[in-house]
Amino acid sequence: MIDPQNNPEPESKENLAARLESEDRRDGITRRQFLQGLSASFAGLSVAACGKAEAPEKIIPYLDQPSMTAPGLSRYYATTCGGCQAACGALAKSREGRPIKMEGNPDHPVSQGGLCGRGQATIMDLYDSSRLKEPLLKGSPASWDRVDSEIRRQLDAISKKGGRIVVVTRTISSPSIHAAGKAFKKRYGAVRHVVYDPASASSILEAHEKTHGLRALPSYHFDKARVLAGFGADFLGAWLSPVEFSRDWAAARDPLKMRSRMSYFIQFESRMSPTGANADRRIRLKPSEEAATLAQLGRFLAKRLGWPDLPPRLGNTSVPVRELAALARKLAAARGESLVVSGSGSVGAQVLVNWINQRLGNYGKTLDLSKPSYQYAGDDRAMAELQEDLRAGKIDAVIFLDANPVYDAPKASGLRKTLEANRRPRLMISLADRLDETASLCGYALPLSHALESWGDARPQWGTASLLQPLLRPLYNSRSIIETLLAWGGSTASAYDFVRGVWKAEIFPTQKSFPGTNFDAFWNKAVERGVVSFQEPVAAPKGLGFNAAAFSAVHPAPGVTGSFEMDAFFSVPLFDGRQANNPWLQEMPDPVSKVAWGNTASFSPADAARLGLEEGRVVRLSSADGAVAELPAHIQPGQADGVVVAALGHGRKAAGPIAFNEPRRRLFPIEEDPILDADLYPLRGGAGISVQKTERSVVLAKIQTYDYQEDPILGYNRNIVRETTLDDYLKDPAAGNPEVESESGLWPKHKYPGRKWAMAIDLNSCTGCSACMVACRAENNIPVVGKAEVRKKRDLYWIRIDRYYSGSPQKQEENPRVTHEPMLCQQCDNAPCETVCPVAATSHSSEGLNMQVYNRCVGTRFCENNCPYKVRRFNWFNYEHNDLVQNLALNPDVTVRTRGVMEKCTFCVQRINSAEITAKTEGRELKDGEVASACQQSCPTQAIVFGDINDPQSRIAKLAKNPRAFRVLADLGTGPSVFYQTKVRNEAV
Amino acid sequence: MSDAHSTAVPLSRWPLVRGEKTAAQITRDVCEPLERGPGKLWFLTIAIAATILLGGAIAITDEIWTGIGTWGLNKTVGWAFDITNFVFWIGIGHAGTLISAILHLFRQKWRNSINRAAEAMTLFAVMCAGLWPLIHMGRPWFFYWIAPYPNNLGPFWVNFRSPLFWDFCAVNTYFTISLLFWYMGLLPDLGVAAQRAVPGLRKKILTTLSLGWDGAQRTWRHYELLYLLLAGLATPLVFSVHTVVSFDFATGIVPGWHSTVFPPYFVIGAIFSGFAMVLFLMIIARKVMHYEDYITIDHIEVMGKVTLFTGSVILLAYATEFFMAWYGGNLYERFAFINRVLGPYWACGWVMIACNCFVPQLLWFRSVRRNVVASFVIAILINVGMWLERFVIIMVSLHRDFLTSSWSHYTPTYIEWLTLLGDFGLFFTLFLLFCRFVPMIAISEVKAIVGKSPKAPSYDEVSSEAAHG
Repeated sequence: MIDPQNNPEPESKENLAARLESEDRRDGITRRQFLQGLSASFAGLSVAACGKAEAPEKIIPYLDQPSMTAPGLSRYYATTCGGCQAACGALAKSREGRPIKMEGNPDHPVSQGGLCGRGQATIMDLYDSSRLKEPLLKGSPASWDRVDSEIRRQLDAISKKGGRIVVVTRTISSPSIHAAGKAFKKRYGAVRHVVYDPASASSILEAHEKTHGLRALPSYHFDKARVLAGFGADFLGAWLSPVEFSRDWAAARDPLKMRSRMSYFIQFESRMSPTGANADRRIRLKPSEEAATLAQLGRFLAKRLGWPDLPPRLGNTSVPVRELAALARKLAAARGESLVVSGSGSVGAQVLVNWINQRLGNYGKTLDLSKPSYQYAGDDRAMAELQEDLRAGKIDAVIFLDANPVYDAPKASGLRKTLEANRRPRLMISLADRLDETASLCGYALPLSHALESWGDARPQWGTASLLQPLLRPLYNSRSIIETLLAWGGSTASAYDFVRGVWKAEIFPTQKSFPGTNFDAFWNKAVERGVVSFQEPVAAPKGLGFNAAAFSAVHPAPGVTGSFEMDAFFSVPLFDGRQANNPWLQEMPDPVSKVAWGNTASFSPADAARLGLEEGRVVRLSSADGAVAELPAHIQPGQADGVVVAALGHGRKAAGPIAFNEPRRRLFPIEEDPILDADLYPLRGGAGISVQKTERSVVLAKIQTYDYQEDPILGYNRNIVRETTLDDYLKDPAAGNPEVESESGLWPKHKYPGRKWAMAIDLNSCTGCSACMVACRAENNIPVVGKAEVRKKRDLYWIRIDRYYSGSPQKQEENPRVTHEPMLCQQCDNAPCETVCPVAATSHSSEGLNMQVYNRCVGTRFCENNCPYKVRRFNWFNYEHNDLVQNLALNPDVTVRTRGVMEKCTFCVQRINSAEITAKTEGRELKDGEVASACQQSCPTQAIVFGDINDPQSRIAKLAKNPRAFRVLADLGTGPSVFYQTKVRNEAV
Repeated sequence: MSDAHSTAVPLSRWPLVRGEKTAAQITRDVCEPLERGPGKLWFLTIAIAATILLGGAIAITDEIWTGIGTWGLNKTVGWAFDITNFVFWIGIGHAGTLISAILHLFRQKWRNSINRAAEAMTLFAVMCAGLWPLIHMGRPWFFYWIAPYPNNLGPFWVNFRSPLFWDFCAVNTYFTISLLFWYMGLLPDLGVAAQRAVPGLRKKILTTLSLGWDGAQRTWRHYELLYLLLAGLATPLVFSVHTVVSFDFATGIVPGWHSTVFPPYFVIGAIFSGFAMVLFLMIIARKVMHYEDYITIDHIEVMGKVTLFTGSVILLAYATEFFMAWYGGNLYERFAFINRVLGPYWACGWVMIACNCFVPQLLWFRSVRRNVVASFVIAILINVGMWLERFVIIMVSLHRDFLTSSWSHYTPTYIEWLTLLGDFGLFFTLFLLFCRFVPMIAISEVKAIVGKSPKAPSYDEVSSEAAHG
């Protein structure tokens, strides 16, 4: 109404008011009257709404805005991931005072910028509403004061009488927890600390005690290994420190930098692990033959290199002699630059591994015992002894600190019986994040704070100390381990002061990160950076020799009684099961089988044919000692014959109601959703398994159901993934990557005058770990759809990892080659989706982004049909978030989509915009690498590069011109903006 | 053929109306059923049709209330029953206009006794078709965003490059013209019906609807001219609608869709299925309404001939498609076609080929063409085949496209089946209402032909003469 151009003269305030008043009167009611009426009706409504009593607390809005909490701006705090004991560095993203996303900390020497899917999903654990919310004393809520005084009284009484107190934990590398433990021990005397790990590395530690006289876990340096032989060690998946290992492994796999020194990686394994899927050569081997194969390999090496000592003969192995001889030749040529690793739980096998590595001169180079890792220190023998003592009734008090052995310890069912029996310890305490299998048996079930709610620290590896800082006050009435131990030890120090004190005493004096600072400055910098390095005494003297007496631990594998061997493994999504109630992880598919939501029993194609099994048929697995599990069958190409493979970490009964987010149907049929994910811990241990076929069948929730690049009828290879061998690559960098003609478009080409965003993905680095899928879900508020919907192929992943098997038809079944190809919106220049949308809800930006306008979309799904990459995802329902607390983790920068609209990858446009705004406010140009998409940020191997392709100096522009660069389905003329780099294998195929 | 055939009457080779009707008799025959009030059979059939329609309405309500997830679609297959049914019904709708407009222009007088019903069928089929694009939207309450209506969002226009928008325009145009054409043709008969009606509400309604038809010579002259003009206007639409519908696929990138043969192929397929549907409905109507004298066995035969012709063109089109898939050398396309007959949905592919290519070939036999039961069965089979053709083109092409990792399957849910049935329920409900309340045979047009060949020997008589002589 007021047009400044038509009213050049400024209007006085009174005039303006009068004019507005008169204008208002045109409709017979003045604005004032209208507002009066409005407020009256509001008042009426408010009074009507005041049915309930007033809240007891006063809520007061910010009067003075706290520093550093600008609404709408994200802040990142360096901390340590609490997902597992690998203790990767993390940056927790905080918005308006609440953490919403976990990202990798590039400064952290362990993870080096990446973060695995489980680590990122810890944000869902924080907001899990099935957490234990307050201390429970025999099942009823009690205050911490009461619980503490009761426990102190009882512990005092026990220790006075000389009773036995045991503390059970998983590996804890935290200096502060150890310091708090010391105080605790000081008060209660001889407290036994039993450390165990479900994913135990105990055999490696024990073997080193025997071979090198030092019980320690060496640090591994996969980046320095030119020849790498793995024996069932899933180091790219879930073994020890997978983020670190993936990064190091990928560094040695860059054909451009490494040229002919690119590593050669051979994997011997029974199941098709994510690690084996990335091997240059993969040999199928039953777990029972592992030691014999290692011994045979060692004997070849000893003969070739004239080693003085020989292990005992362990019988024959099914691996062909030429295979082992060839590997021995390669290893012998790469002494000091090779590495043999084994994931075996047998001490004998690990002794053989140590022997080979020692004699090859790898210690101190590709693995280091003098600068060990503290990530896994569990002792299986100590745990077994404890179970024995518990059974004998010799223990008076047992305290489980963030440990759930009733579910995940060896012989857990026996432990459950013991803890339920009359001779159980008088005092049983569990400090746990939920009322889990163990806590529900304990008289005291105490809530444990999440890593993002507590102060703490970790010392994952020699000379590295990492800090945990809280991003919010505990959501519930919970406490951290440090606080609890301090309280029971009688100290009143806060966790912050205590951790600070420990760092002042233990880390600061020898710190190397910030030279010349005083402690206060050091502390501030440490908190800001999240990690420091410090000088520790070298754990073992140089030249620690190999003790051949250790060969006495090498025994032939025990005979297998059943018809199958069991290979129960730790999966990438669920690991040991501690995060089983995490919807993001339940919906994260296994990187190889692509099955989400639930467990499977995998069989090799030959075994499946022999047993007459088809995919989804339920089988009953029973072990010699009577443990039984029922699981649907999955047929896994590349798996060793005679082995049943199933993941651990499933089948938890006390983890919580595993958020389904499944849309509820009001009409019949009610969709049944049986999750057959039996607990495999009782069947662990390689004992014989017999397999029975049942009459039932289920449909597996698989994200990908067709595994080959060839079609099944004509057998044409679609060359979706391009690959070559290292030899060919060295001759011609464009090997395996012929030029393709593409059709010219019908429409005029778009112009990109400024920036044009593009992405490069290195297929040689991508291990298929799927961390990007979780990162994308966290960043872009992608709902979890539940098992039934995944089964209907309605997962909403914006980025997925296509996994293809290749090789000759026979090899495709027996032992296929595997390629992983991350697939996301290709942001095509001539996007087929854009032309077909009738309402122009998807359109092209001047920076090359293919944009989806959610509130314009009417949901015809034409774009989905017309997308050759099938990356568009439709909201079939309003995906209800059953756990409302978890909605706190939604990213406010990204719209939550309603039902009926299409969505897809945006190249993280909100991150682009945020970086652009930052650059603009700082009055500078955007720097290359400043914008990182969520998938790129999380990628442990840094396979993804993102940037402005119009800037010739950018990394992406160079990668797009790299002879290895290819674009998927380029012949269609869609002009994708994602440039894949060919996969280069170090092996002729 | 026999010599006797060539000696038949030149204007029409067979009597267009049987039973030596007078003009008054025709009026009586057509109007009396409307005045008598419905019989038991009608009530029974409409009860069944309306019940099925109700089932569909419940299914659609559930779908709109809960989400498209109630259907069996997934991240790979975005269209299946919805667009299959849309194209199917649009195709059905073709025959009506073809019969009334094109055959009118070609002076094919035999169409006069069936054009009214065929046009009505067109209208109802287009309604049934229009339902699907509406409910297949993720957010159907914003359906009007597809129209380029004046708005204050910028203004924000539709995407004029989208074939879905072209489709929207083509179908709307077609429906509008068809409705006008049908209504215009109805005016004289409504006038007659109004005249006959006893004073009361029905008479008032009929008089109003007939727009004051007075049967004057001047009125007739205007009417005839307008009818001719509308026929001329409707004729190109017969070709344009399905051509544009075929663009939905032909301009897509999906192997099995992306093909320049689609426009003629879709048009001929539409006429094929439309004629089969007309045949199907006429056989029912002549039985139920006792119109054997108007819709004679000769009508059935001539429609059989058209069906045979269009069916043979379909056979040629299929052969061309398969040949081009092989000859074109595009591996994706080659696979898409072989996947239709050897893939997981091979049964759909083979039933489609059998019903559309081989079953119509039976119509080469005169005895089959003149056999009411055989024609009826063939008409049903052709419609099954043509429905499957659209399903195969849409769904089977989609479920295995470029990236093998995304290949998937599709199984319809009970909601989709109920909606499909409900759509048939809607069609038959409308058709039954039409039979009851509107003169089903164009009285004035039949009167115009009844004098032309009253005494001509019927085909039967000619052939029996030939046989004896």
